[in-house]
Formats: sequence, C-alpha cells, structure tokens
Amino acid sequence: MSSPKVQIDFVSFLLYVLGFFLLWEWLRPVEELTDTSNIIVFLVFLILSLLLAFFGVSLLLSSFIKVLYILYALHYLYFEGSFFDFSWIPVFAADMAHNFGLIVERDWPGITNLFRSLLFFILLWLMTYLIQYWLINRRRIFIFFFMTLIYITVLDTFTPYEADAAIVRTAITGFAVMGILTFNRLMDQEGLKKEASLSRKWMIPLAALIALSTGLGFAAPKAEPIWPDPVPFIKSYGQNSGGDGQGIQKIGYGEDDSRLGGPFIGDNAVVFRAEVESRHYWKVETKDTYTGKGWVTSQAEGEYLPFGNEDEIPVSSFIENDAIETTEETSSVYTFMNYPHVVYPLGLKSINASPFITYEVETATEKIRSLDGGRPFALDEYKLGFDVPEYSVTAMKEAGAKAESLPDDYMARYTQLPEELPERVRELALEITQDKTDWFEKARELERYFRRAEYTYSQTDVAVPEDNEDYVDQFLFDTKQGYCDNFSSSMVVLARSIGLPARWVKGYTEGEFKQSIGSGLRLFEITNNNAHSWVEIYFPEMGWVPFEPTQGFNNNVQFNFDTAGQNASQPEAEEPKETEAPVKPDEPTETVAEKPSFSIKELWGNIENFFKENWKVIGAVILAAGVLVFVLFLKRGKWLPHYFIWRFKKTKNDEHFSKAYLILLKELDRYGLKRKNGQTLREYAKYIDSFFSTKEMGRLTARYEEFVYRGVLKEGSWNDTKELWENLIKKTIA
Amino acid sequence: MDRNHMHPAIERVLGNIEKVMIGKRDVAELSLVALLAGGHVLLEDVPGVGKTMMVRALAKSVGAAFKRIQFTPDLLPSDVTGVSIYNPKEMEFQFRPGPIMGNIILADEINRTSPKTQSALLEGMEESSVTIDGVTHRLEKPFFVMATQNPIEYEGTYPLPEAQLDRFLLKMKMGYPDIADEMEVLNRAQRIPPIEDLEPVMDLAELRSLQKEIKEVHVDDTIKRYIVEIANQTRNHSSVYLGASPRGSIALMKAAQAYAFMYGRDYVLPDDIQYLASAVFVHRIILRSEAKFEGITAEEVVERVIARVPVPVQRLVK
Repeated sequence: MSSPKVQIDFVSFLLYVLGFFLLWEWLRPVEELTDTSNIIVFLVFLILSLLLAFFGVSLLLSSFIKVLYILYALHYLYFEGSFFDFSWIPVFAADMAHNFGLIVERDWPGITNLFRSLLFFILLWLMTYLIQYWLINRRRIFIFFFMTLIYITVLDTFTPYEADAAIVRTAITGFAVMGILTFNRLMDQEGLKKEASLSRKWMIPLAALIALSTGLGFAAPKAEPIWPDPVPFIKSYGQNSGGDGQGIQKIGYGEDDSRLGGPFIGDNAVVFRAEVESRHYWKVETKDTYTGKGWVTSQAEGEYLPFGNEDEIPVSSFIENDAIETTEETSSVYTFMNYPHVVYPLGLKSINASPFITYEVETATEKIRSLDGGRPFALDEYKLGFDVPEYSVTAMKEAGAKAESLPDDYMARYTQLPEELPERVRELALEITQDKTDWFEKARELERYFRRAEYTYSQTDVAVPEDNEDYVDQFLFDTKQGYCDNFSSSMVVLARSIGLPARWVKGYTEGEFKQSIGSGLRLFEITNNNAHSWVEIYFPEMGWVPFEPTQGFNNNVQFNFDTAGQNASQPEAEEPKETEAPVKPDEPTETVAEKPSFSIKELWGNIENFFKENWKVIGAVILAAGVLVFVLFLKRGKWLPHYFIWRFKKTKNDEHFSKAYLILLKELDRYGLKRKNGQTLREYAKYIDSFFSTKEMGRLTARYEEFVYRGVLKEGSWNDTKELWENLIKKTIA
Repeated sequence: MDRNHMHPAIERVLGNIEKVMIGKRDVAELSLVALLAGGHVLLEDVPGVGKTMMVRALAKSVGAAFKRIQFTPDLLPSDVTGVSIYNPKEMEFQFRPGPIMGNIILADEINRTSPKTQSALLEGMEESSVTIDGVTHRLEKPFFVMATQNPIEYEGTYPLPEAQLDRFLLKMKMGYPDIADEMEVLNRAQRIPPIEDLEPVMDLAELRSLQKEIKEVHVDDTIKRYIVEIANQTRNHSSVYLGASPRGSIALMKAAQAYAFMYGRDYVLPDDIQYLASAVFVHRIILRSEAKFEGITAEEVVERVIARVPVPVQRLVK
C-alpha cells in the first residue's frame, strides 16, 4: 500500500469527520450490548488517529503519539496512581506476557480485560488506517458503508440494540461520503483542478438531495412488510432460540418463558463449575404468573432491591424453625459465561466475592444480580454459604391447616391461574389428591402423579400449544410427553388449582460430577444441558419447599419421616430416582436476549454450538452449494455469454473493448474452438469466421490487433464493434 | 496475407517482377523485404531455377545498376572490389572499381570461391564500404547483395562461416516451379526473353525514401517480446548447438517492419514474425550433429519453436 496522500483542505476534513461518524456507528452498539464501558476513551483515540492522519503527521511520530495515548488510556482504565511513576509498567508487562501465554494455549475466556482493551485499540488503529486509505487513496467507501449498514441491521434484528436512529445517521453520512468521493474521483479522472465554484456546484445539490431523500424517507408512510417477518424463523432455525415456541429451541438459561413448548436440542457449553459438599439444585429465578402458554411475572420487572455483603439476602426460601433441621454448607462457583446473575441454592445465607461487589435482587423473580459500581457485572467466581434443610414431615403435614395465616394477596399471587384454564385440569387435581387431606400429602401425590408410565420424558417430540390450547392442559391430557417445563408447569398449575400456593422455579440441576477434590468437596460441571425448572410450594410457617415432578430428576430434598412414622414407604419415592437420573438435559430456553449478558464469549459459544449441532445441515448445504456451483460451471455455456452481453451492453467506454475481446476468446475456447499456442489472432479469426461462416471475427480482430500491436485504440472502437462482438458471443451459447 | 492493402509502389514492383518470374511471388516478396530493410539475401538452390532472372528483374524494376559476380575458385578479392592500376601515361595508380560498386549485385555461387574472396564481398555487405590500397570507398546506396550458393553437399565448395552467414538478412530457397508454371516458363522461352523489355517502375530515390519510412513502422513491446522469446527458444532447443543471435533478433524485427510496410501497415503483427522467422533464423542456427543425423533441419526447429511460443494477445502490463 502506498502511503496515504496528505490533503489539508476543508473537503478532506469533512471526509475525515464523516469517516469518524461511520466508525462511531460501529462503537455505539458495542457500548450498549457488551460489558464495554468507558467507550469515550476509544472515541478519543479514533479522533486522535484521524486527526493525525488528516494533518499527515509522519508515521513514526503519529505511531509514537498513538502508543503513548493507548498506554495512557490503559493506565487510566486499569491502574491506580500516577501515570508517570511507572510502577504500573511491570504489572502491565506481566499481564501482556500472561495473555500471550493464554493465546498460545487458546484459552480465550481467560484473556484479561486489560489485554482485550489493548487489542481493541489496535483494531481501532487498523480501522482508522483503513478509513484513511479508503477515503483519501482509493476514494471509495461503498464497501465500508455497506458493511456498516449490514452490521447495524443485523444487530437491530437479532439483539436488543435499537438501530432506528443509527440507520438514518449511517445512511446520511454514507451518502454524503460517497457523494464527495465521487466528486473527488471525477476531478482526478478528468484532471480538473478543484475550484470552489465547481465543488459548490456539486456539494449543494448533493446536500439538497440527501436532505430531500432523508426528509422524504421520514415523511413517507411506511408500508407494512408484505411477507411475514422472517426473523423469528431464522432465529429459531439458526440460533435455535426463539421464545415464541415455534421451531426448535435451544437449551440453556433464558429469560423469556412466556411461550413454552416445542422440541429442543442439547448444548454442552459449560455455564459454570461448582465445588460442593452435597449435590443440590441451583436457582436463578422464579416466576409466579401462568398465562396458559407460559410464565411471566406478576410484578413489574426491573424493580431491584439492593443489598450489601453483610446484609441478609432478601430471597424467600424456607423459614427457619424447629421443624427444619439445617446443615451449614458452602459451595464455590466458577463461571464460564458472562451472566451477571448469581446461581444460588435453597437457603442461601451469604455470597462471597470481591468486597467491592454489591448485589441486588429483582423483587419480581428473586433473581440476584451482581453489581460493580452500580452496573451489572459478571462475577468470575464466588462462594455461597447456605443452610441445607431437612423438613420434618410431621410439621409439614400440619402446616396446611394454618393456611389462613397467609395474607390474601400472597395467596392470590401464588394461586393465580388463567381464566381460560380448562376445568378438567382442576378436576384432575382433585382426583389425584382425593384421598389426601393435608397439603404435604397432596403435594407429594401430585408430584408422584407424573411418575406414571403414561407420561414420558422427551426433548424432541414436544408440542406447542395452539392459540386456543392451554400448555398444561395439552400436556396433561393430550400429548403426555415433554421435558421439565411441561412437568413443572403442570404441577404448579395442578397445585394452584386445589389452592396450594406454588411457584415455578428456574435454574440448573446439580450438573455432572467431575471429580472429588478432597476434604469432602466434589467438583460438578454445569452446562446449558443442565438448565432446569421445578416447583416450589409454600407451606405456612415452613416457607418454600421444592418439589420435583420431572421424570428422571431428583432434587435431593430431605424429608424427615421418623417423626411421621406412618409413611415409611415414601422415601423411596425420591431415592430410587437417582439411578434413573442420567444427566438429562432439560429446560429449553428462549431468546438469548439478555441485554447485559450479550458477550463475545457467549456469542462464540453460540456459534460453536450452532456448528456442532447443525454440522449435518451445514454440510448438506455446503454440498448442495458445491453441486450447484459445479452444475452452474458445467452449464456455464448457457448463461455466461448472456451475463457478458448484459455486462457490456451499457458501456461505451473503449477500455472495455479489449476486455470484451479477451472474454470472447475465452468463450470461443470454451465453445470448443481452441486457439493453439502459436496461432496468431488473425489465423484464429480466419478459422472462427470459416467455422461460423461470417466475417465478423476478422473485422473485430483487425481492430483488436491495432490496439494490441500498435497501442492505439480508435475512439469509439467499442461502439463500432459492439454488435460484431455480441453476435459472436451469442454464437458461443451452448 | 491480404493483398488488397498492399503498398501501391511495392505492388507495382512485384507486378513487374511477376511479368518475368512465374509462380515465384513469395521469393520476390522476400527479396524485396530484404532490399527494403537494407539487408542481403542468400539464395540456396540448384542452378537453373531462375535466381539470376529474379535479381535482374528486381534490379530493372527499381532502376538500379545491376552487377553480377560469378564466383570461381580462382577469383581474387580484387576481382570483386576493384583494383588500382598503374597508368603509365599519367604516372599514377588509377582505381578501377570492381563489380561490387553497384546497387544490386548478384553474387553467384558464393561458396565456390576461397574464403578470402568471400570475405571481401562480405566486408562490403557489412560495412557498406570497401578498402583498397588503404583508400576506403563508400558503396552507393541502396546496396543489395543477392548471393546464391549451391547446396553445401555439392563438391568443390567452401562453406561460408557462421559469422558471415549472420550477415545475410534472409536465406531462402527458390525451388522448382510446379508443372503449370514450368509449362508457362517454356511458353515464354519460345519468345524473346521478356526480361529485356522490363521497364523500371520505381527509381532509387523513391526506394531510399521507402527504406526511411520503413524504419518508422511501429514494433510494439508485445511484438519485441515475442521476437525475443522465439530467439530465446531457438537457443534453448535441444537439437540446437548455436541458436539465433541478438543480431538475428534485430534482423527479424527489421524484416518484419519491411514486410508489414509492404502490406500497408504501420505496425508489425505476430503473423509477420511467424512468416519471416524461418527465413531470418535458419541460416543462423547450427544444429547438433546428432540432430543432423536424425534428419532434423533448422526449418523444422524454427517451425516447432513458433508453434510453441505463445502468441501475445494482450498488451504488456508494465
């Protein structure tokens, strides 16, 4: 690449400014969608680089300034103390060395933020160079402009980023840049000097046109798309997510449960690893309102209750009393995905991470978020202290009688059911529990009901309720096969229909046992396949008690039957399941539309999984594309000449004459009229003419000979010979 | 080649020659190419096929002084160049110009004379001047030698050395006329030899200006490259002991310019090169003995090279 030309004038300055705006459009979503903050530092770097380029500062000096700025910025972002005391330099160097090691080991997630920022700076550096090269040397920006539009529209479609304004901004900037560049190119080609009057003549209509088209775009009525929105389809097919229940779902943790159902496929991406003393489920959030299609929250989302490290954690679980024996335990969580929420077991007492971290709980869902300086922050690791309960069955049995002590609105919230719920659901619940009197027995009976053989666990053959169908009703009476969402939702609905306050819990199972790591600790790995949902039923004075209706799963909830006596046969209702509990994936999820957790890591994981899961489809598509290309290649005689005719039809430029002639030679060769190596064009033309019994090739060739061997092309050559050329190339159509 | 666009003056000359030479248009063209390009021609053929007639017709057509030297084993260099003779009346040596002091010279059976005499002629061809008794005499322009030689296998010949062969622009064969042509030859022979009636259709001044114009004929870089590649290939050919020299490349270019001009073009085509390559190169190529034993000829080598070297069909990208 030649070194960029330096032009210090207003138009160049304008170009740089517009180039900056285009680049800025790339940075805006980064701020919104990733956990990148302090974007201003990068913007300043962009401005600095473009200014240096504009003033044509020598490579050495500008590199020096940029490196200095980068170091300063990194220091500002990541280090304490003065920039000039240099004590941070060794730390910085060590960090770099460490990261290079990680790169060699391909341990991408381990790369530190400092190094990422450095890489980002380098990327921006390259981008500013490219912008400068495109704007000043090549005088072409269309590709970049187009890429910017694609980038923005893709983000707008598939992420929460709202690109309405961005599209308008980009379109205006891009057209302005292209207009100016076209002017510059024309000036260069025609060898005209730039005169103020000339450029005014160009710029004013350009500005007017852009203003007019933008204004029209704003004012014009926007027609609705005439075909159905393809995005959900692409999403559900491509990403295997898509919360509207159509198509295949992706397993993993997601937020939107408003439309459940449909098959899903597994995903082995690791979410976190945990060192635990005893195995237990991991909660993320709960939902309380059943819509007939899925779960939503009754309270407004986004209400958060902050709490600090020392505070009691405002999450409702069991209520401490004599009837519940507790054992203190701790678990350590090492995250592999950048979720800013905390996974926690029942009976959570404390969260231990960095002392700077604060937490807040979303009151509607009891989802705990970790915050750093008030912004959601994904923890790398944390330690959880919690009490493991052992419920006294006697107390449980008595608890139901004290239902009156519960506040009415509390009862109403957790016994909510949609009005459209078919009556047969309630009838079924009554039928199942008809022999039982107390809440605990009823709940156990409901839980056990799903262990019947008529219900089967399936991930693939799962129906989606139609508009007039109820998700639970469909599962209970029609399909009778499904995964955790079906089982857990159904149990919640059944429990509620007979007046037990119940809620739907989302989280992960204990995961897959990896190894024992001494001192009673065991290491579990929790992947997206372990995402799960289950049931909690509220017992007065006892609090929330988890139940596990899904076949093949066991929540390891301990009930003390000794005091209950009469029900000695019940424990095995829980225990035997362990044997039949292969690590079955469950809990499909829904859109990966969690705003704060859109991260490169997750994206990469998604891409990787997409390829893993769809390699057959991808392979088939590639194969089909290959076959198509091959067929097109074989049949090129049918379409290629048409393409060339079309391509050269409009042009009057004589430059195309030689191109067209050489293409004709190629096409004739493909047609089977081979020109020998030592055959001159004239001899060949004679051969062609005698073959097609024309004189066209000879005439065309005479003109071409003059061009090649004399270096002169008469003006209008292409125009004169276009017809000859077209006639000849048409003859090569197979 | 398309005769319609032929240069009118040249067409006239060729037409004139055709009046006496039957069916030898190609030889006439090549001779004229050499004359126009300022080169010389070596004709190799058996006696009696019309070599002399050819040259005389050419000379007459352009109104040039025609001289003929019959080379014999006992011919001395001074018999070619001329000699200074003592004039007793005026008490001094007087230069009596030899037959080389003409415009168009037929050097018949050049390989029958001794190398010493041969070189006297060849020096004149190369330098356009002869030196006798320390005095250099410039030869008049145009100066065109058409040398004939018997095929080398004939006895009693002194083959020309390579360096001297290189001085001929073209080497060609006359060949026997075909049956129809030969019958026509007989018909004409019954009458007075028509050569005597041949009128000049061009004068020397016109010839010289044509020669000047020819130098302006455009040889594109693509063509130069093509020439060089052909020459190169003759050097690398497995049957060749010594390939065409750079002087050969120059000769090919000059001949091509003349040929292109003859056909009314002011630029050279690869076709010109291909047509002339054999005539320009064959006498400059020395084959290996093995190749000779196998019966491979220099013509075949040039033909093969031309078939192999790709014809340029695009402008050179610089």
